[in-house]
Amino acid sequence: MSKTSVAFKQPYPKNSLLKSILLVLPMLFLTAMMLSEGGKIPKNPLHLIPFVTVYIFFNGMFFLMIYTGKTDRYRAILFTTFAVCFVISFISNLIETRGSMALTGEDMISGNTPFCHMVIPMTLIPAALTKTIIFPGSILEGFANVATMFVIWIGVSLVLGRGFCSWGCFFGGLEEGFSRLRRKPILKHIPLKWSYMPYAVLAAVVLTSTLALSPTYCEWLCPFKAVTEFVEITSFQVLVQTIIFVSLFVGLVIVLPILTKRRTQCGLLCPFGAFQSFTNKLNVFEIRIDREKCVDCMLCAKACPTFSLDAKSIAKGRTRLSCTKCGKCVDVCPKNAISFHIKGTPVSSGHDKSRLLFIYPALIFLATFGSGTIKGALHRILLLLTTGGMIQ
Amino acid sequence: MQGFLLGLTSGTVCLTYCAPVMVPYFLGEGKSVRQNISLLVKFLVGRLSGYLLFGVLAWIFNLLIGKGFALHDLFFGTAYIILAAMLIIYGFFNKRSRCAAETLPGLFRRLSSHSPSLLPLFFGLLTGMNLCPPFLLAFTEASGTSSIGGSLWFFWNFFLGTSLFFFPIPFLGVLRRFEPLQIVGKLAAGILGVYYLYIGTIMTQGGLIQL
Repeated sequence: MSKTSVAFKQPYPKNSLLKSILLVLPMLFLTAMMLSEGGKIPKNPLHLIPFVTVYIFFNGMFFLMIYTGKTDRYRAILFTTFAVCFVISFISNLIETRGSMALTGEDMISGNTPFCHMVIPMTLIPAALTKTIIFPGSILEGFANVATMFVIWIGVSLVLGRGFCSWGCFFGGLEEGFSRLRRKPILKHIPLKWSYMPYAVLAAVVLTSTLALSPTYCEWLCPFKAVTEFVEITSFQVLVQTIIFVSLFVGLVIVLPILTKRRTQCGLLCPFGAFQSFTNKLNVFEIRIDREKCVDCMLCAKACPTFSLDAKSIAKGRTRLSCTKCGKCVDVCPKNAISFHIKGTPVSSGHDKSRLLFIYPALIFLATFGSGTIKGALHRILLLLTTGGMIQ
Repeated sequence: MQGFLLGLTSGTVCLTYCAPVMVPYFLGEGKSVRQNISLLVKFLVGRLSGYLLFGVLAWIFNLLIGKGFALHDLFFGTAYIILAAMLIIYGFFNKRSRCAAETLPGLFRRLSSHSPSLLPLFFGLLTGMNLCPPFLLAFTEASGTSSIGGSLWFFWNFFLGTSLFFFPIPFLGVLRRFEPLQIVGKLAAGILGVYYLYIGTIMTQGGLIQL
């Protein structure tokens, strides 16, 4: 058989039904503890139905990941659901507490802006220089305070590295969902040069934030303000900023993902993603390519949603630094040459063990971060169906 | 600080475009890290001289244009727009750009045979007077300052920002990573160009309203 032949797809090794059930048991226990907050089962059907649904949903997807041996297919369903539910839940909360998605000057002065992980790279240098956090949020109070987000980020960075971007980011799932709407891409070739753009945006926003002592990415570029909260339009400058973030949302989160089947915001703009890429160096999990099995068909490079594989990296048997460990390349490889891997172990052995060791903490993190959000969104939808409104 | 920021964003561009000329010389002349550091210091002194010379020119330019009337905003706003557009093209679309030092091979050869020790200084002076878009943008920014001290201070900070990128050169291992650094630097310069385009538009609009 020639080196480039991919005619015979080798079946991915599945686990037996019994083994899969046994492997899901710890997750069943952990998610039950997490969702019930230590044993509190809700009585109200409007809370009980979302509780049960989320519990079955997370564990069902985890079971399928183990049983079928496929990671990305089920991760994408969880991840997209999380993002959509985040938007529903977040907007409903904002309208309930503030009456609007728009942030007023008073909200910012009183430190009521929820802190999001995207701001982290911009705050580090000013924090070191001025001992202040350049964000109008609360350090310890409220549901999305600075301290909590930093603690979560440090923990996740150590355990998952840039895996955060495919298993925990509450924005990434939106473009993930849009990127899966078409079966085949319309725009196939995006020059590799543009995959360096997030690093350039990171450099620009870190420098400008240090200079201006304000989070310039949030003010000027963040596309996700279109589905979360934005500054009330009271001046020409805010109008320009609003036009920019709405355009970026439409272009990079909706249109380009549909046309390219890639996560273009993550791969071509997100400065947090660029920053997070460096944490892949600290993390023990990585994706590796067994050069003995690889036939250089490039299916993995074509499938990678964040432009993290190219001919050069494949030849080295590694992904680029920006890999988000989504597992798509592992799933599409016709020769099972690509696998989750633990640094320091041989590349050609223990594929499924490494994958399992990665997806356990990854799914626990996704469940911790996402289960409450999905539950909240389902509760809002049930409220809408039963009372005609999502706001209490 | 503005000068330092501009220097930081365009430093990689300065480095990567002048490096193809500069690095072979450093590699050929410097026998050790210490010698390379000495060459780098001469080179940086030359660059600083070039920048300070332009600091004085920017101040003279400001005196000629004057302040306090609508034309000032209109002039500098338009200059920002043109230069920012150049920076955007330079950062996002231009594949090849020449360093000033690369354009004078004859003079370079003569100097290297007669006064080799002056060569890094001369090199630095030429790169300090390199009329690339980031440099022109720095010139326009400095022209907006009201005193010669302010103008020189701006170029001093611009020099510091760009110089940071030259420090690893004596430790030449960094050269292996030049290509991604060059791309990131150029793209960052392009992004900053977009920001300056906005500033220029606002200034021009202000100037037009005042007219």
